[in-house]
Amino acid sequence: MAALARILNALALLGICGVMLYAFYWQIVRGELPCPLCLLQRAALLAAGLGFLLNVRFGASESHYGIVIVSALVGAVFATRQILLHIVPGTGAYGSAVAGYHLYTWALVAFMVLIAFAGVMLFIEAQFVEGVRDFRPTVGAQALGWLFVLVVLGNAVSTLLECGFGPCPDNPTGYELLQK
Amino acid sequence: MISLPIASPFVVLVLATLAVALGLRRTAVLFWLLAAALMVYSFAGHVTDPLKIAL
Repeated sequence: MAALARILNALALLGICGVMLYAFYWQIVRGELPCPLCLLQRAALLAAGLGFLLNVRFGASESHYGIVIVSALVGAVFATRQILLHIVPGTGAYGSAVAGYHLYTWALVAFMVLIAFAGVMLFIEAQFVEGVRDFRPTVGAQALGWLFVLVVLGNAVSTLLECGFGPCPDNPTGYELLQK
Repeated sequence: MISLPIASPFVVLVLATLAVALGLRRTAVLFWLLAAALMVYSFAGHVTDPLKIAL
């Protein structure tokens, strides 16, 4: 069961990396820049991913799942805010729809799934027996960890380029630092 | 409210992930806490108008 928990944590981390790369696809290939609320949702998702990264790197801990849950709750608030801004017919929407729902709606779904997933994972008590420790992860786990680091770094650079050091426009049309 | 760059949570998360890579678990958790606080602070700065939702 502990091995299953490790695999599931790695898969969850991979899933978050996949979601963020998909978001980059919409940003870079489709040219749909993220708004401030979108960026905060990205940050919350990455923060949740940090919880899974901690589990993969140091072994499972209830506090790591707590990081996932709290980050997802915060992200859910951001996503809900954005949904409510556009829920009234005629108020428009931000970005394109994917399978009928906008990305901020899918973000809320993702955050709810993360909360449920972390909650279920907490039932696997066998994963907590060894406790947290500094051990050398497998090559695959290391590669996954570095992929996550790159995804976080990519988001930081992209956000800095888009918004610079000042307030971010509500409807960004270009990269602030590249236009100066 | 002082306006912080919206990239600030991301920068702190980069530091958190690097702390994990270096084996600094508690430091990473502290960085996560800071990133979460920055996210909430940035969000509070953006919530400037009440929602008008048709019931």
